[in-house]
Amino acid sequence: MLRLPVLLATTVALLATFELPAQGRGRRGQRPGGEAPPTAPTPEAKPAEATDTKPKQYLAIVGGDVYLGTGQRLSGATVLLADDKIEAVGHNLTLPEGTTVLDAKGKCVSPGFVAVQGFGMGSGRGAPYADSVNPFDPEIKQALAAGVTSFLAGSTGGGATPSGSNAVIKLHYGSVKGMVLQEDSVVGMSVPLSLADREKFEESVKKVKEYLQAIDDFPKKKAADANTKEPQLPPGSEKLVAVLQGKARLWVSLGGGGFNPFGGGRRGGAGRANDLDAIEQALDLARMLGRGVVLQKPISAWLVPDQIAATGSMVMMSPRDRTPSDPTDPDRTGSNLAAAALLAAAGVPVAVTCPGGMFGGAGVGTGGILGQDLNTPHLDAAFAVRGGLDNRKALRTLTLDAAKLLGVEARIGSLEPGKDADVLILEGDPLHYATFVTTAVVNGKVVYEKGKEPLYRHLAR
Amino acid sequence: MSMQHRSLAILLTLAAAVTAVAQDNRPIAFTNARLVPISGPVIDGGTLVVKNGKIEAIGKDTPVPPGARVIDASGKTILPGLVSAWSRAGLQPAQPRFEEPAGGRRRGGGMQMPQMGGGGGTQNRAATKVVDGLYAKQTVFGELLRLGVTSLALNPAGGGFPGLGAVLRPDGKTIEQLTGDDSAFVQVGMVRDGATKKLLKENFDKAKKLVEERKKPPEQPAPAAAAPAAPEKPAGDKPAEAKEPPKGDQPPKPEPKPEPKPEPKPEDKKEPPQGQAPAAPPAAAKKPEAPKDPNLEVLADLLEGKRRALVQIDCGADLLHWQTAVADDVKFPRVVVVPRHDNTAGTVDAVLDQLKAMQCSVLLSPDLATQPRSRMLVHPAKQLHDAGIEVGFVIGDQPQALRFLFFRLMELVRYGLPADVALRGVTLVPAKALGIDKRTGSLEVGKDADLLIFQGDPMQPTGQLEAVWLGGREVPQQP
Repeated sequence: MLRLPVLLATTVALLATFELPAQGRGRRGQRPGGEAPPTAPTPEAKPAEATDTKPKQYLAIVGGDVYLGTGQRLSGATVLLADDKIEAVGHNLTLPEGTTVLDAKGKCVSPGFVAVQGFGMGSGRGAPYADSVNPFDPEIKQALAAGVTSFLAGSTGGGATPSGSNAVIKLHYGSVKGMVLQEDSVVGMSVPLSLADREKFEESVKKVKEYLQAIDDFPKKKAADANTKEPQLPPGSEKLVAVLQGKARLWVSLGGGGFNPFGGGRRGGAGRANDLDAIEQALDLARMLGRGVVLQKPISAWLVPDQIAATGSMVMMSPRDRTPSDPTDPDRTGSNLAAAALLAAAGVPVAVTCPGGMFGGAGVGTGGILGQDLNTPHLDAAFAVRGGLDNRKALRTLTLDAAKLLGVEARIGSLEPGKDADVLILEGDPLHYATFVTTAVVNGKVVYEKGKEPLYRHLAR
Repeated sequence: MSMQHRSLAILLTLAAAVTAVAQDNRPIAFTNARLVPISGPVIDGGTLVVKNGKIEAIGKDTPVPPGARVIDASGKTILPGLVSAWSRAGLQPAQPRFEEPAGGRRRGGGMQMPQMGGGGGTQNRAATKVVDGLYAKQTVFGELLRLGVTSLALNPAGGGFPGLGAVLRPDGKTIEQLTGDDSAFVQVGMVRDGATKKLLKENFDKAKKLVEERKKPPEQPAPAAAAPAAPEKPAGDKPAEAKEPPKGDQPPKPEPKPEPKPEPKPEDKKEPPQGQAPAAPPAAAKKPEAPKDPNLEVLADLLEGKRRALVQIDCGADLLHWQTAVADDVKFPRVVVVPRHDNTAGTVDAVLDQLKAMQCSVLLSPDLATQPRSRMLVHPAKQLHDAGIEVGFVIGDQPQALRFLFFRLMELVRYGLPADVALRGVTLVPAKALGIDKRTGSLEVGKDADLLIFQGDPMQPTGQLEAVWLGGREVPQQP
C-alpha cells in the first residue's frame, strides 16, 4: 500500500515549532488527544477561538505522511485546519472539541498543487474574475482529481511593456467567495526587445523608481512644506509599479508573444536549439528592476543556472518538453532532462507545467490537445525527478515554487500555519504514477472525494 | 350586417375585459366533470357553475342553478387555464410563417426565450414599460390561447433592470385590449459579470436610500398612507403626459422635493406618472436638486413591497453571484425564474440551500436536465420540491413547444415529481408570480372562468385539449 521506500530513507526534517517523536515514522501523533486531556484545546487554537465571534470549524487530517511543500516531510503527522486556514501541523496535536477528523493513515498529505498555467475550470469571462467565476464548472472536479487546487487564469501578456490580465483562481467548488485569490499578480513581457524598446523600458523603470521613492518621501516633505504636491503616477505604468512594489511578478516570454495555450511556438520554428540570448535579455530586465523575473519555458536555462540564481529569477518549464540539440554543438544546445535538477541545485525556484504550454487540467475532455492525458501534473514533476531532481524538491515545483512564480506564496503552496487550507490526501507518494487524489480540501472545505465522484471511483486501490 | 358585426365586436370586447359586465346572465353548468381545482383535491363527477364570466360554484354535489345551460362533461377533465409567466410574444413584428418541421422540437423545444447573453444592461431601466414595444397585430396570442394559455406575461429582456413586465390578455386585438396590467412586475436579470453586478448593487443601494427618504418628511401629508394618487388606469400615454410638465418647469422650481413626494405612493401596481421617459429626466434636469429618477422610484416601490419582481438566473453560479452583489437585507416580493436548464455551467439544483434561503418560489423550465457535460439526468424540479421550495414552470411563448407541454409534465411526473405539483406549476404558481392569483390560476369560487376542458386525463398520453374558456366564454378553436 505505501510506496515510500525512497522517502523513508530520507531524513525527516524537524520543524522547530513542533515536537516530533524520537522515531522517524512514529505513528502515535495521529491519535487525537495523545497524552493531554482530550477536551483541552491547543494553545494555538485557544486565543483565536476567543477572538472570533463565530466558533471556528476545525478539520483535522490525521496520521498521514505529511509533505509540507517546503521540501520537508512529517511521518504520521496531523494537519489541523481552522475554517479556511491551516492552524497547525505536527505530531501530538491536541484537537479542539468538535473537530472533524479525516483519517489519512497510510496515505500521503500534500499542499494542493498550483498550476501556473490554465484556463477554463470555472474561471469565468475575464476581469473582474470575482464577478463571473462559475464554481459549478465540471472541469473544477476534474482538476481537483488531478490535485490542482489553484491555477493562473487569463493572459500573462507580452510585448515590450508589462501587460496582461489574469487571476489566481482557487478551485473552491460550490462557492463564489474564495474562488479568486488574487487578480493581476502576474504581468508579462516578451524579449527580445528592440534597442529602442529596451531604452524605453529602462527609462520607465527609472521613472517608476523615482515615483516610488517620491511616495516614500512624501509624508516627510509634506510635513516640512504643506504645499508639496503628491507625486503623480507616470502614465501607463500601473503594471510596472506593481512589479517594482513586489505586488506582481514579471513573467518574461522568451521569443515574443503572450501565453499561447496551444503553442510551444518557439520550439521547432526557426530551428533554434538554444535561447541563451533571450535568457540573457530577460536577466538584463531583472537587473534593471532589481527583482527577479520568471523565465517562461527557457530551453537553455540549464546552461546558466548560476546567472539566473544571481538575479533572483525563477523558471517555469516542462521537463517533458524536448528541443533537439544542434548537431554541430550537441553539448551546449537543446533541452536537457536534467534542467530542473541543475536549476534547483543552483537555488532557482522551478515550477513545472505541462508540455505544450498548457496544463492538462485546463482543457480536460474538451479543450485539451490530448484530452485527459495532460491532466497529470504529478507526472510532469516526476519527469524532473527522472532528470535527477530530488523527489521532495520535485514536489515543490507543483506547490511552493509554483506559488512563488505566481506571487502568492504567502497564501498557498505549503502546509504552514496561517496559510490557506488547501490540502490533498493522496493514495501514496504524490509524484508516483499510480497515485490518485482521494480527498481534496480547498479553503478548509472538502471539495473532492474520489469515492464520490464518477471520475476515478472505479479505480479501487 | 355591419351593425351586427359591430355589436358582436363590442360584445367580444366586453367579454374580453372580464369585468362584471353581464353579457349573458344565463349561468353555465358543467356536470359530471372531473374537476382539478389545483387549490384543492380533485373532484370526480363534480359540477362547475360559471356565471358572468366567474366561477359561481364548484363541488361534488353542487346543484345546477335553474335556467342554467348544462354542459355534460362526462369523461372530461376541467383544469384552470395555463399561465405563462415567461414570454416575449409580440415583441417582434410578425414574421412570415414557415412550415414547422414535422414533429416539432420536443424537449425544451423552441424555447428561444430572452437570452440575455453576456453584458446585460449597464443602465437602470426599471421604469421602462415593456408593453410600449408590443406589436399587437399578431396571431401568436390567439394561438397560445387556443393551446390553453389564458394568461400571459410579457417580459423585458436583459440583465440588470430591463424594465416593467406586463400581464397580457391573450384574446386582445389591440395593445389596449391585450394589456391587462402594464406594470405587473419588475424584471431583474442576473448576469455573471462585473457591470451587471455593479448595476444591481448600486441601484439597490440607491433605492434603499430613497426608501429612507420617503419615510422622513412628516410635514408632508402622510406620504405612506395617503390615498392612491392615480386611481384611474394608467394607460399608455398618461404617464408621458404627466411626466412632460415636470420636465419643463422643474429647472426653475427651487424646491422640487415636496412636489413630487405625493406622486410615488401608488398604492399598488397601477403605477401613475413615473413610467415614461426614463432616459430623459436625469440628463435634462440635473441642476436643481435632481428630479426623481423614475427607475429608482420603481425600485424603491419594490423594496417597500408595493411591487413584485421576477429575478432571472441562468445557472447555479448566478445565484451565488446574486448573493455577493445584492445585500441580504435587500428583500422584496420576488420569484426566481430559470428559463432553461444550463447543462453546461450547472443547473440550479446545486444551490438548493441558497434558493431556499431566498424564500420564494422558483419557476423552472419544465424539463429534466443533465449534470454538466454528461448524460446523467437530474431533476431540478423534484429536488427543489423535495427541499420545500414552491416550484412552477416556465412554459414560454412558443406554440410548437406548448403543444408538447403536457408530455413534458408527464416526463417530470414519471421521474418522481408529484402530478399535482406539476399541474400547479403551470397554473397557480405562475399566477402568483405575476400577482394575478386572485382572479385566475385555480378553480375557485369568484375567480375568472378560465378553463381548459380535456377529453380524458391531461396527464395521460390520450388526454386531449378540447376546449379553452376565457372569462366564461369558449374560445373558438378556429380563428
